[in-house]
Amino acid sequence: MTTPQPRSRSPRVTRRAVLLGGGAVAAGTAGAGAARALAGSSPVSSPVPDATLVPPTEDLMREHGVLKRVLLAYRELIRRFQAGEPLPAQPMHDAALIIHDYIEGFHEGLEEGYVFPRLRQAGQLTGTVTTLLVQHARGRELTQRILSGATSRAVAVGGNRARLAGAMTAFVRMYEPHEAREDTVVFPAFRAIVPAAEFAGLGRHFAELENQQFGAGAFAEMTGRVAGIERALGIYDLAQFTPQV
Amino acid sequence: MRSWAPRRGSQLSSRALQALAMVSAAGLLASGCGSPAPAPAASGHVTGPKVVITTRTLPGVGKVLTDSRGYVLYMFEPDGRRQVTCTGACAGTWPPVMLPAAAVLAAGPGVKSRLLGSDPDPSGGKVITYAGWPLYTYSGDVQPGQATGQAIDLNGGEWYVLRTSGAPLIPSPQS
Repeated sequence: MTTPQPRSRSPRVTRRAVLLGGGAVAAGTAGAGAARALAGSSPVSSPVPDATLVPPTEDLMREHGVLKRVLLAYRELIRRFQAGEPLPAQPMHDAALIIHDYIEGFHEGLEEGYVFPRLRQAGQLTGTVTTLLVQHARGRELTQRILSGATSRAVAVGGNRARLAGAMTAFVRMYEPHEAREDTVVFPAFRAIVPAAEFAGLGRHFAELENQQFGAGAFAEMTGRVAGIERALGIYDLAQFTPQV
Repeated sequence: MRSWAPRRGSQLSSRALQALAMVSAAGLLASGCGSPAPAPAASGHVTGPKVVITTRTLPGVGKVLTDSRGYVLYMFEPDGRRQVTCTGACAGTWPPVMLPAAAVLAAGPGVKSRLLGSDPDPSGGKVITYAGWPLYTYSGDVQPGQATGQAIDLNGGEWYVLRTSGAPLIPSPQS
């Protein structure tokens, strides 16, 4: 049996390209499907220094911070759509790629493999965990739509603009309460049921997994990437969000 | 439970984590009694010596491989019918179907037993294969009979359900 070909052969995006801002695949690429990082092609990982280790829930929460900043980027893009302004494909694609590769392709895997099963085993938050899993799956579908549609050609078409705005709106609406619930309820519950030594070990394990998948300094590089998206959209300056009172 | 297996250099001893894995597996087995089967944390844990791969016919998808609880099984394109490449965080989202030591692999109705096999898991243990493809479930399938992972591009490659022939169900390109 021959190796099957994927239904949409989109350009492979290497990890290096993602982390260095290689979003050029978005611009005008006809029929571009979901670009993807080569999860298995990360460079040889370096040992994780103890000084850089954080508890596993803090690690997950700061990754939520990256997610939050992408949601801010989506909000700005939604605002532009509603105002009838042009939608820039490049920052949209770059933002969705961070979600695809780092949040969906890594962060959620840690939750699904380590946090949720432990809570289920303890009989805690079982309904919430099921909802979170469903939302992860739904979010991935939305991200595929955004990645597929974030091309210079597609964003110029009215129907496509509306679909992209709809996908981003649904994504923001779902993930804002999703991550807030995880931060305030799920992660504290997880911490409460995991013994201290094991909890500390998980922190190291999460760091090692991140190192193996993305290389050293992945979190810093992701925050750098999202800052670049914010600058491209004119929302990096924090002071602009201070209201006049 | 393989998802708790440490990488080398973990502060936790292997024995401690293995003990945790056994407790975790027992807890999951207990929670699976009665009402709808819970989504798998790690699909490979079974109560007896036999691991059955069977089939289920899904609306709009047809007859596909499932585990004994009815959770749909997927292949991962980058595995290339050669090895298990979904590990770490990937395996959290796509738990591999493990073959416990001394367990017997069995084909349910419609499944070709000659196509069943196993591959070593880089994290330890063996993963069940079909037609050379390592098998996984999907965390997004929270009930038996769902196939929400079909044709997803995630963790570095495409995921597809498998026919009893061993062929992945690859959708036709959209026009």
